[in-house]
Amino acid sequence: MHEQLISTLSTVAKDGAFRAGRGLSGLMGQEIAIHVPNVRIGTKADACDAVGGEETIVLGAYLSISGDITGHVMLLFPVPRALECVDLMCGQPPGTTQEPDELSDSAIGELGNIVGSAFINALADHLNLILHPSPPSVINDMAIALVESVYAEVLSQGSDVVMMDAIFEDHSGKTAGLLLVAPDPVSLERLQRVAA
Amino acid sequence: MTAPPPDARRVSVGIGQLAISKDPGEVLVAYGLGSCIGISCYDPQARVAGLVHILLPNSEGKRSEDREPARFADTGIDLLMSRMTASGAVVRRLVVKVAGGAAVLGPANAEKFKIGERNAEAIKERLKRHGLTPAGMDLGGTKGRTLEMHPATGKTFVRTAASPAIEL
Repeated sequence: MHEQLISTLSTVAKDGAFRAGRGLSGLMGQEIAIHVPNVRIGTKADACDAVGGEETIVLGAYLSISGDITGHVMLLFPVPRALECVDLMCGQPPGTTQEPDELSDSAIGELGNIVGSAFINALADHLNLILHPSPPSVINDMAIALVESVYAEVLSQGSDVVMMDAIFEDHSGKTAGLLLVAPDPVSLERLQRVAA
Repeated sequence: MTAPPPDARRVSVGIGQLAISKDPGEVLVAYGLGSCIGISCYDPQARVAGLVHILLPNSEGKRSEDREPARFADTGIDLLMSRMTASGAVVRRLVVKVAGGAAVLGPANAEKFKIGERNAEAIKERLKRHGLTPAGMDLGGTKGRTLEMHPATGKTFVRTAASPAIEL
């Protein structure tokens, strides 16, 4: 099923993750490594393992995609890691921000905006689509609750789910974040046409 | 009634899954329900406990998925009832508790499909068809929940990222 599409999306996801990672490392002022993204049918709880398991509390941003195709983009960090990103973005020593607050929410929203948009733009450039990311929602919850809600959104419209996830790592090999992208089922047909 | 032993086996009930237990040494858990809904039920006489993890409101027009037999509220609740009955429970005796149906993705998703809200309506409707009304509910809101059913006591607990477990 969707073999051609999966192969095209893999290429796009790779470039998208690269651009997103470059955005992330630019913001954080440090080198970020990107694992070759997974593109897969369906979802598995192991997407959450990257951020520390299902019940781990994560902080991140969610954007919806509209335009030629619709879908979902989510950037998740384990909370301490998110707060470290905020400190780096604000030019403060890591550890300065101890608890999520208004400033960290705004920084995380901006991070989601930049990283998510970088991925969406790669998708748009490769497949010649016009795509608009929504303003980001800052999300702070158990990882699995967020992942399953995106899974539900997608499955409510059809029976086919394609999810892409990319893991970012810092120079010490610690997970710096998880990016998850899922087109809506109605968009898969369109993607399949432009991918052919 | 006794509490589950501290070394109770935690049985994770994932998306679209269902578990039935008569084992006081087990705890049935649906981790991180977002827009999903967890439904626990217990027959105090037969001492049979069940937990199901529903993803979507309605199976109409959807392909069934063997790996997620309880994906939909309608078919998932029917399956729960038949599995409970097969294990010796009687439907009219069941104490049913439900939690989940939140909107966790924030304003960027608020106007989309309202899955959590629709799930909540669908499960109440389906339970009613079986002559059941939930004895405890924790539905809606914006936060994910973890639901636990303790077969040792028949009690159900809910917790969120921000709040400790409370009995439903």
